[in-house]
Amino acid sequence: MAQSALLVVLVYFILSTLDFTLTSWQVFTRPIVVAPITGLFLGDFQTGIIMGASLESIFMGISAIGGSVPADALTSSIIAVSFTILTGASIEAGLAIAMPIGTVMASFNGLFFSLFAGMAPYWEHLAEKGDMKKFGIQLVLFDMFIGRAASMITLYLAVAYGVDSLNALLGSLPVFIMVGLGKASGMMTAVGFAIITSMIWNKEVGVFFFAGFVLAKYLSMPTLAIAILAGVVAVVYFFNEKKFVDLQASIKGKKTESEDFF
Amino acid sequence: MAMFKYTKEEKKILTRMFFLSGTLFSGFTMVKMEGNGFALTMSPAINALYKDDDAARKAALKRHTNFFNTHAVMFNFIAGLAYAMEKEKVEKGSVTDDTIENIKVALMGPTAGIGDSFFFNVVRVIAAGIAIGLCSKGNFLGTLIFIALYGGLQGVAKWYLLRIGYSMGTTFIDKVFQSGLMTALTKSAAIVGLTMIGAMVAQMVNVGLAWTVKVGSTSVVILDTINAVMPGILSIGLVFLLVKLIKKGYKPITLVLGIMVLSVALAFLKIF
Repeated sequence: MAQSALLVVLVYFILSTLDFTLTSWQVFTRPIVVAPITGLFLGDFQTGIIMGASLESIFMGISAIGGSVPADALTSSIIAVSFTILTGASIEAGLAIAMPIGTVMASFNGLFFSLFAGMAPYWEHLAEKGDMKKFGIQLVLFDMFIGRAASMITLYLAVAYGVDSLNALLGSLPVFIMVGLGKASGMMTAVGFAIITSMIWNKEVGVFFFAGFVLAKYLSMPTLAIAILAGVVAVVYFFNEKKFVDLQASIKGKKTESEDFF
Repeated sequence: MAMFKYTKEEKKILTRMFFLSGTLFSGFTMVKMEGNGFALTMSPAINALYKDDDAARKAALKRHTNFFNTHAVMFNFIAGLAYAMEKEKVEKGSVTDDTIENIKVALMGPTAGIGDSFFFNVVRVIAAGIAIGLCSKGNFLGTLIFIALYGGLQGVAKWYLLRIGYSMGTTFIDKVFQSGLMTALTKSAAIVGLTMIGAMVAQMVNVGLAWTVKVGSTSVVILDTINAVMPGILSIGLVFLLVKLIKKGYKPITLVLGIMVLSVALAFLKIF
């Protein structure tokens, strides 16, 4: 099992690195790609392909929009396929564990997400130094090895020792640490918003912050709808300002004209 | 737009930006989200534009690590636009830092909405639909078609969006500047930007109190009581408290670690 577990980690590493490439986000990490490749590495390509079709349908409606990850499609697909191939279970049994394990993995990742938030000031400092080659290399290396270390270790443990022991391990952590870090990650974004708000805040138009908040919170409007409404207000505002500018220009224009006249 | 001529240097910078844009999610944190990827993508442009002024170059790079979040493909449009604005700033002094930030923030909401609904919910679903049909019969061609259709289209879109953003930005900003409407544009962008930040605070910032107080035989859920006044008032309070602390000169690292320690401590006390 240990050898298969290493192979599975390798699949994870390759696919999540490929997702960095030109095809952009969430192509190589979708179940339809992940499952066949996992199958190929574990020696049962056909099962992988067929499971890829089912897993893609399961995860079709689940998206990671807005930074919250409901269930990790990549790791859960890998585990579902390796569970089926390695234990000889039926495909249905493998599919059945995909969602719960995805949720466990997502909450585990969320834990590290909030820990890695502590890195943000370091990155800012590094960018400020201006050595962008170093900045880029460190970012990518961090992502490839440290950022994914947690997922790779959990993946290894899940395949080598079984999903149950992974749950037991998670359960052995003190509850308040898990809860606290989970809550912290929900508040972490506030720091980013605060930095940007303090930069672009403007007395005249600052109140629009509250308009956006109310539209999203009370009316649960989707982001695009809010953006369109804000855009409408912005266009009206822009043309109103334009009137003033034009007026100013025409007054100035008259002055110069009359000066010319004399 | 087809009339736009790129110089040799612009082409080189845009190509390098295109390749770097793949790293958008590297160093993703809950604090700045795609800020690091944004700064890295902008670096060829910034390095070239500010080559004579090192202090300004570093300040610009730091500025671009600011909170940023949008769809990975639509991001290239904003990066192209940001390149155009930085160029105007350096060459003509017609654009200020505030304008650049305001326009970036104003665009992330709408572009995320368009990108998610077009690429994620339309192109991906179509590509996956074709692929699922083939794969369920055990045909690996399905996977390859998925990569070519969804991945290929996103790659091509990224290439062109970067260039469209740049050429549009250059012509548009010139026009606005000549008519003396730069301040009006900055403020209009701030309207959209601040509205979007308000909306994102409502959607993403969560202050999850789990505190219940026993009054006699009934228990009172504090969060419900607070939300009865105004839902999400704690999120707004948190953001403006942080704004105040930042203006007082607190460093982001202090705030991030403070939140972490406080959350764990409050969870220990069963308030969270």
